Amino acid sequence: MIRHLPVLLPLVPVLTGLAMLALRDPRALAAVDVAGSLVILVLTLLLAGTVITSGPVAAGPFRADAVALPFLFLIGFLAVCAAIYTVGWMREELETGKIKLGTVRHYYALFHAFIATMLLTVLADNLGVLWIAMEGTTITSAVLVGLRGHRGSLEAAWKYIIVTTIGISFGLFGTVLVYAAAAHARGDMSGDAMSWAVIAGMSKKLDPGIVRIGFLFVLVGYGTKAGLAPVHMWLPDAHSQAPSPVSALLSGALIKCALFGIIRFHTIARGACGEAFSGRLLVLFGLVSVVVATPLIITQRDFKRLLGYHSVEHVGIVALGLGFGGTVGTFGALLHVINHGVTKALVFLVAGNAIGRYRTQDMHAIRGLLAIAPWTGTFLLMGAFSLAGTPPFSIFVSELYVLRAGLGGGHFVAVAVFLLMTVIIFGGLIHHAGRMAFGSPSASAKAGRDAGSTLGAMALLAAVMVLLGVFLPSGLERVLSRATEVILG
Amino acid sequence: MTPALAHHLIDDVGAMLLFTMILILGAGQLYRAIYAVAAQSVFIGIAGGVLATATGNSDLWVIAGLTIVIKAVALPWLMLRVIARVGIRREIEPVIPISLTLAIAAAIILLSFYLSASLGTVRQAITGNALPVGIALMLLGVLVMVSRRKAVTQMVGLFASENGIFFTAMAVSQGMPLIIEIGVILDVILGALVMGILMLRVRSSLDEDIADLEQLKG
Repeated sequence: MIRHLPVLLPLVPVLTGLAMLALRDPRALAAVDVAGSLVILVLTLLLAGTVITSGPVAAGPFRADAVALPFLFLIGFLAVCAAIYTVGWMREELETGKIKLGTVRHYYALFHAFIATMLLTVLADNLGVLWIAMEGTTITSAVLVGLRGHRGSLEAAWKYIIVTTIGISFGLFGTVLVYAAAAHARGDMSGDAMSWAVIAGMSKKLDPGIVRIGFLFVLVGYGTKAGLAPVHMWLPDAHSQAPSPVSALLSGALIKCALFGIIRFHTIARGACGEAFSGRLLVLFGLVSVVVATPLIITQRDFKRLLGYHSVEHVGIVALGLGFGGTVGTFGALLHVINHGVTKALVFLVAGNAIGRYRTQDMHAIRGLLAIAPWTGTFLLMGAFSLAGTPPFSIFVSELYVLRAGLGGGHFVAVAVFLLMTVIIFGGLIHHAGRMAFGSPSASAKAGRDAGSTLGAMALLAAVMVLLGVFLPSGLERVLSRATEVILG
Repeated sequence: MTPALAHHLIDDVGAMLLFTMILILGAGQLYRAIYAVAAQSVFIGIAGGVLATATGNSDLWVIAGLTIVIKAVALPWLMLRVIARVGIRREIEPVIPISLTLAIAAAIILLSFYLSASLGTVRQAITGNALPVGIALMLLGVLVMVSRRKAVTQMVGLFASENGIFFTAMAVSQGMPLIIEIGVILDVILGALVMGILMLRVRSSLDEDIADLEQLKG
């Protein structure tokens, strides 16, 4: 069975989603949601064990290797947390009429379709399949963003689908060019010429000129989807308008899947054009993202837009890590993918609870969260300090890796800019979070206890966040080291 | 068919693709832009036929047929239906003047040829001028999207852009594997459906063009 896991894994959410279409009762739907997500997480861990002990598992156009593992884990873990959170959150949404009873099953089914397309993206060995799955994530999640049907969500869904579709069509073009280079170098056209494993294996023989242009197209294309500035326009809109559990997955997992696509081509480009070319481009895009996000974070009033721009910054940091390169930078970038995914999902769930209480996303109106919701308020402060890069939380650790790689590689200007922006963002973020957490809540805010399931989901995420801050489990370290070796070729 | 003849024919089709692209860019009315992109898709189908004959790869016939059925007939029909359904004003509202758009387009076409002329050996792996034409179509599609206000025109730009990718992909040695092309076309259809539904929803509930919504900022 293990051998077929790369095919079985995406099949689980597909079947779960189809089963959900037949259900009506919100409770049954929530139960299936949690169960289906747990199965994904368990299978992911099973697959991880096999890959670590006996190497990549391939099945047809799908293949799970060490690079895919951190992404798979992130998708599985965040799916479980989001599913647990949704139990209580959905009850609230139904009571307040934000989501109608008739659309509940569509929401759940789409959510699992979305997870399925993300799993496919990460498991794809064939670069064409990778692209098809990535466009699939856009289509499924755009419907989720627009599901509530009000003005803002429809606008966000439209911008999202138009901008990312045109964006990743650049990615397809880049894929075609790399495929052309591979087909040319091999001289024959048997079916596996689009396989990443095959192309990466012969990357040194590819024509550097065409791979260079191909990588550029892929970086701009998948970079749009990843939210790298200056092609991040859709991200704050979609993240702020989507239902909160969906926002958590958009930011925590989806944009990481796009980074995964870039990483695959980064390996090919390193082989074909030497180490410097793709690395330099990644540093450039990473720096621009960090710099562009900073003023927008400082001046932001909308809670979820703040988190959206903050994702732009952190995607930039991952790009910086990959660009600085070497073992340290690449390892740090992968660790940052997990750390940021977990932390950002936590804060989006916090935002969901806060918005439920204050009925607004305006941070000036959200005050005294600690007083009316002590746990949610605590998680907000923990998440904010972690996002800002303070020890003992996990993001501090991975940012340190990225910094070390930058200094080691002699990128002093880039490191200086990065540090400066991090300090400014630290100030802005703590300011925003402090104002929301402390003070006395307005009279219109809804008092009372938070739903237990939402607290459980947040506690789970916070636990992992703290855990990864104080020590690196040996299993994870082995996975990331192996993945780093694969990426560096 | 000799390689030289295939080369020649692909260049002719490429010229027609660029010509239809100029028609899209210069169109003053929505339906004209839609007809132009439909015509462009027919030429993509013809290119598929030429390459299928030249290389003996029968998969390309399937791709050519699918392209014509879906991109030259079904999707234009869908867009015309949407226009009729929502009764939007038929004129295209350019953000920048059409003459300026055409000047930018000329620059993009020159740039694409210049860019691919710098690629030596690998051009042998791609028939004729399919690479520069593909790059040009792709970028010009983006130009259509950013220089026009209407949601329908943004879809037209997107499809034109994708036509460019398809053209280059078909001309790479013997085309991409059939299953991949079919997957890509499937994504195009699903994406177009979601876009159409979003557009109709905004029309029916807010009575506005979805591309005009500009509430999310900052």
